[in-house]
Amino acid sequence: MNIGLFLSKVDGSVSKVIDLKQVATHFAGLPLIKIYDNLLSTSAQKEIAEEIRRNNIEGVILAGQSPLFYKKVRNADKIFDILRKAGINSNKIAVVNLKEQVALPHRSNSEEATKKAKVLIEVALEKVRMSKRVEHVGVSPKKHVLIIGSTTGGLFAGQRLAEKGFHIFYLNESLKELQGEEKELLRPTLAYLRNNDNVRFIESSINDFYGYPGNFRVQLANGEKVRAGAIILSIQKDLGYTAKLYPFLRLEKDEEGYFKNLFSDTATVETAQPGIFMIPHADDMSLSSIISLADSANTAVNKLLDHGDIQHELFVSEVDKEVCGGCGTCIKTCIFRAAELDPVTKLSSTNFKRCVGCGNCVSACPTGARDQVSATTKYLISAIKILSSYSSGNSPKILFIACEGCGYPSLDYAGKIGVEYTSNLLPLSVRCAGRIDTQLILEAFNYGFDGVAICKCHDDHCLNIVGNLDLDRRANLFREVIRSRGIEPERLRIFGTTECEGGYCVENAMKFIEYLKGL
Amino acid sequence: MGKIKVATGILQGCFGCHIAILDLHEELLDILSSMEIVRSPINDVKDVPEVDVGLLDGSVSNMDNENVAKIFREKSEKIVAFGTCACLGGVPGLRNLFDLQSVLNRGYIETESTVDGKIPSSDEIPKLLPYVKALHQVIDVDYKLPGCPPTPQRIKEFFVSLLNGREPVLPKKNLCHECLRQHKEMYVPKREFITDSVHSITELEHIDETLCFLEQGVLCMGPATREGCDSRCIKGNTPCRGCMGPTDDAMEQGAKMINALATILPAGGLMFLEDVVGVGYRYSMPVSIIPHVMEGK
Repeated sequence: MNIGLFLSKVDGSVSKVIDLKQVATHFAGLPLIKIYDNLLSTSAQKEIAEEIRRNNIEGVILAGQSPLFYKKVRNADKIFDILRKAGINSNKIAVVNLKEQVALPHRSNSEEATKKAKVLIEVALEKVRMSKRVEHVGVSPKKHVLIIGSTTGGLFAGQRLAEKGFHIFYLNESLKELQGEEKELLRPTLAYLRNNDNVRFIESSINDFYGYPGNFRVQLANGEKVRAGAIILSIQKDLGYTAKLYPFLRLEKDEEGYFKNLFSDTATVETAQPGIFMIPHADDMSLSSIISLADSANTAVNKLLDHGDIQHELFVSEVDKEVCGGCGTCIKTCIFRAAELDPVTKLSSTNFKRCVGCGNCVSACPTGARDQVSATTKYLISAIKILSSYSSGNSPKILFIACEGCGYPSLDYAGKIGVEYTSNLLPLSVRCAGRIDTQLILEAFNYGFDGVAICKCHDDHCLNIVGNLDLDRRANLFREVIRSRGIEPERLRIFGTTECEGGYCVENAMKFIEYLKGL
Repeated sequence: MGKIKVATGILQGCFGCHIAILDLHEELLDILSSMEIVRSPINDVKDVPEVDVGLLDGSVSNMDNENVAKIFREKSEKIVAFGTCACLGGVPGLRNLFDLQSVLNRGYIETESTVDGKIPSSDEIPKLLPYVKALHQVIDVDYKLPGCPPTPQRIKEFFVSLLNGREPVLPKKNLCHECLRQHKEMYVPKREFITDSVHSITELEHIDETLCFLEQGVLCMGPATREGCDSRCIKGNTPCRGCMGPTDDAMEQGAKMINALATILPAGGLMFLEDVVGVGYRYSMPVSIIPHVMEGK
């Protein structure tokens, strides 16, 4: 397969530490290697698309910024649209985090940083090579919007959407009569909404929730089924209600336990779940702020649903029917009820509308019939092998498995705030702690790692609800296996970050390395 | 066409797999009409002549086993790892949980009944290898026929395939596929464990012969075990112990079973079995990801 490697100096922040020329020479066998000052510049973006077409490139590696950067900085993710338009499948794109996880934390040691950069690019190459193309389904978006919570912001956003012709469902556990100033302010809006045939106020709660952006299916406790193209969450600060909604909406929570937006400054109404938007609530928020947030939410929903067709990529768990024996383990494991029994074959199958692709069932499957489209088991093992090839001299080397929810952002954050750490921490990103098959841990020791650190979400912060719990259960049973091979069970350490973006994980990883030195 | 020439041999094993050939009874005579066993421990021929098929039973545990395996490889067109020990290392492989010196000390010196014990040493006695291996870890193997022992029916099918020029294939699914017991709780998409507690079979007064063992709180290795044994133990109302080894797509049995059990049975209850390793790796230690104790960890 023709793979193109695009290296970014990130305006010097990467190139002053990592010798990119040396990296490029190392990968000289690839059909296309380019070094840019910044991959997001006008000229770079134009050239990348041209180069891909000219060289018949099928897989792309973007090495520079963290994958989180592309989510966080507005419109940075457009580069993926450019790649896809140039014919690259999403599963054939890998991002190598040279800045936050190599150049910044290892800035005093160019040589090791360059060496590590090569290893991380090797891992990305393996991922692109071993991944199959992800399939798409076209979703014709429902012009319905479910607004959870008729707060001021929710009412204003709904009014705008109703004007545009959307059907609006307001969902509240119970409707309260407005009082005083608020009543004065909202009376005309409420009158408009209540007299609109396309707007309904429902008093109920959610029993079941699944689907894609463009077509979410919501089962309510009162028996009603609502279909919505998008969701707007506009609830007040209410921990109880947040906890009730969490298993369905799976939005990130802040330290206090309230839902939070994707990024407080750049993606205010977006959330970690595509198709679910929110109007953040704060007690001291001015009316003008609320209105502008409501308008942002309205624009975001319009942008999403104003398409004839939304392409949804099926990053799911797949079943090999030749291998599945129908034991039912995945059915018991999946909290999203995405693992189903085929009534005819009595084998397992995946309900793609429900599957979130977390990979918990892939770990659980005792036959290996299940695999994750975004990161196959074979790729993860190969990645561990490649990472183990990094030589750290006499000091212990650890595999740092980070979940996408908390572990990975934590490691990024540490780099960003200037924490320097030693290069013998080799990061491997997984979708969720639940994806960590204990076989992977054994492979890590087998390939010579001195320790395995797993950095996962704090107890009730797992975006896949039970991924971190299931990891803990597996690890508890598993320690005895490590011990039986003469490996000190303490060589496996699991951290739950108390603050999802704190440098806590790195601090603990360094303590872990110190501990390993003492063994 | 002449008869296919077959040689069989025993490495470290219990002869159970050879006995399973005899368990074919009269059916063996059908096979022998087109196949000749020119050498086996039963007819007590010492040398290995040139043969079409060499069947080896047992794991590779000492230097003699290694030597015999190599001779068989040299003399045989096709080599068959015959039975669990040859395929997976089997029960003898459990000694890989200890280094060789500890095994010898325990066996010859430290056992409770031993007085003035001494580790035997002589040029006549083959030296034990540091760790037990499966056959394919020593020589190239063409076919595997796991089972402790393989069922006579499987053995027959295997030979019939060979005799008809078909490639013998192993089933790819887990035992649950051929197990006839009913699943109820296992198919309910709810996160609650399927039972409140875990039992050893000996403490249960009644075991439902039609219901999945796991659903009765009895640990059964079936989910992490390859099918193809005709679920003999299950039919005898005894849970699977995993002798067929892992499926091809799982890397190993022990870790996979742990991954699965974490969401099926209450973990505290499982710990009561007190032998996660013995249960998970009873037959497959030498082919597990870390096949023996690691020194210096």
